[in-house]
Amino acid sequence: MNPILQTDAATLSPIALFLQADWVVKGVMLGLLLASIWTWAIIIGFWLKLGRTQRKSAQFERDFWKADDIDAFYKSNGQSDLPSARVLAAGVTEWRRSTHGNVIDRDGTRERLGTVMGAAVAKEIDDISDRLNVLATVGSVAPFVGLFGTVWGIMRSFTAIASQQNTSLSVVAPGIAEALFATAIGLFAAIPAVIAYNRFGHAINRIEARLNRFADGFHATLSRQLDGER
Amino acid sequence: MERAEKIGLGVAAAGHIVLFGLLSVGFLDTPNPIKLKQNPVEVSLVQDVALEAAAPAATEPPSQRVSPEAGEPVDSPPPAAAPPAPVPAPAPVPEPRPEPRPEPKPAPPKPAPPKPAPPKPAPAPRPEPKPQPKPKPAPAAEKAPSKPAPTKQQSAASAPSKAKAPAAAAKGNGKTETATAERAKGGRLGSDFLKGLTAEKSSAKESDAPPSAARVDARALAGIQQAIARQIQPCADRQVDPGPGANQIVTALNLRLNRDGTLAAVPTVVRQSGVNDDNQRYARRVVDLGIAAFKGCSPLKLPAEYYATANGGWSNINYNWKLR
Repeated sequence: MNPILQTDAATLSPIALFLQADWVVKGVMLGLLLASIWTWAIIIGFWLKLGRTQRKSAQFERDFWKADDIDAFYKSNGQSDLPSARVLAAGVTEWRRSTHGNVIDRDGTRERLGTVMGAAVAKEIDDISDRLNVLATVGSVAPFVGLFGTVWGIMRSFTAIASQQNTSLSVVAPGIAEALFATAIGLFAAIPAVIAYNRFGHAINRIEARLNRFADGFHATLSRQLDGER
Repeated sequence: MERAEKIGLGVAAAGHIVLFGLLSVGFLDTPNPIKLKQNPVEVSLVQDVALEAAAPAATEPPSQRVSPEAGEPVDSPPPAAAPPAPVPAPAPVPEPRPEPRPEPKPAPPKPAPPKPAPPKPAPAPRPEPKPQPKPKPAPAAEKAPSKPAPTKQQSAASAPSKAKAPAAAAKGNGKTETATAERAKGGRLGSDFLKGLTAEKSSAKESDAPPSAARVDARALAGIQQAIARQIQPCADRQVDPGPGANQIVTALNLRLNRDGTLAAVPTVVRQSGVNDDNQRYARRVVDLGIAAFKGCSPLKLPAEYYATANGGWSNINYNWKLR
C-alpha cells in the first residue's frame, strides 16, 4: 500500500501528503494530529462523564429529598463520588463538627455550613471543568498553527517554482496540496474543540447551578435543624 | 486520568486511525484524477503558412498552333494539284519536268497565298534568272524548300538553283508564320511541327526552374520575415547582449540573397530606430551582431517562388533586426 500512497500525488491521501511535506510542515501536522486526538479524547470523556454525572446526581438528589432520615441516607449513599454526594458529605461533616460540643453557635454554624458547601461545590466544578481549558486552547490556537504550516508549505512551493522556472500544475500542485493539508488538520482539530468547549461550558454551568441549588436546600434544612436543637 | 477519559482517548485514537486509513486507501479520492494529468498536445510547425497566397503567373504562353487546319474547301483543289508537284520534284531532278509544268505551278500559289507568293518570286527571280532562262524552277523551289530542303540542294545541280535554295531557306526561317500559314492551308504537318513546341518550352524553362509567383502579397511577405526570424534565431541567441538598452535598438538590415539562400553581400544598414542616449554606444555593435547572426545561419531556406516577383521578393529584402 505504501508505494502507491507515495507515488500517487493526485489522491487525497493524508499519509502521502504527510510524507511529501517539509519537516516543518510535518511537525505542524503531527502536533495538530495529536491535538485532535487529545481533543476528541476529552470530548468523549466529558460526554460520558457529564452524562453519567447529571443522571446520577438527579437520581441522588431525588432520593435525598425523599429520605426521612438524613443520617441514615448519608450512611448508605454518602460515600459516592458524585458531586452532590461530596457536597452532602461536606455539609454533614461540618454539621457534626459544629454540633459536637455542648454549646452551639447557631449563626456561626450556619455561616460555616454555607462556606463549606460553597467550597465543595466550587471544588467539584473545578474538578469537572479541569480539561475544558485544553479544548479552549486547541480551538483557538490550532487554526493558527495549521495556517503557519500552510504558509510555510506555500513558501516552499514558490521556491520550487523559482528554482525550476516552471509554473505548470504538476510542479505547483503537490506543494500547495500538502501545505493546505496542514490547515485542514488544524481546522479538523479546532472546530470540534470550539463546539465542545461551548457545549460543555453550558453543561457545567447547569451542573454548577444544580449543585448550588442542592447545597442551598441542604443548608436550609440544616439551618432549620439548628433552630430545633436547643 | 479517569476511566471515562481513558475510554475517550482510546476511542479518539481509534477513530482518527480509521478516518485517516480510509482517506489513505482512497475512500474520498478525487473523482477523476485523470483530469489533473496534462495530456501532451501534438503541435506541428507549418513552415509554409501564407507563402502560396499570390496567384502564380501563367508559366508559359500558349504555344503557337502548328498543327494543320482541316483543309478548307476553297484550297482543297490547288493542294491536290500541288502534292504531285513535290513528289515528282525530288525524283526527277532535272529541268525537263519543270518545263511542262510552268503554267500549273504558278497558278495554284497565286489564288491560295496571294501575298507571299508574288513578292517572293519577284526578288528571287530577278537577280538570278538571268544566267538561266527558266524562271519556273524558282516557284518550284519556293514551294519545296520547306519539306525536302536537302533534295533541292541535291537536285539543284546548277549554281543558280543552289543560290536560290539558301535564299528560300533564309526566307523560310525569317518568316515562319507565313510559311506555316501556307503549309497549314496545305493540310500537312510542318517538318518543324515539334520544333516550335520544344523551342518554346526550352525558352520558358531556361528563365526559372520553379514557377515564381506573380507578386508577393503582405501575408507572404510576413511569412518570409517570420521564416527569416525563425532561421536566424539560433544564431541570434548566441549573440551576447552588449549592455542595457541594447535590445531596444531596431535595425533594418538590407539583405541581398542568392537563390540558394546564401548571402550575396554583407547585409547593410538601412536605418536604425530605438537609439537613445543610454544605448547609443551600442548601436554599431548591434549592427555587427545582426550581421554576424546572418552570416552564422546564412543558408536561409525560403520559398523559392517568392525569390523574385513583380513587386519584389526575398532576393532583396529588408529585415528588422533586434536583440532579444
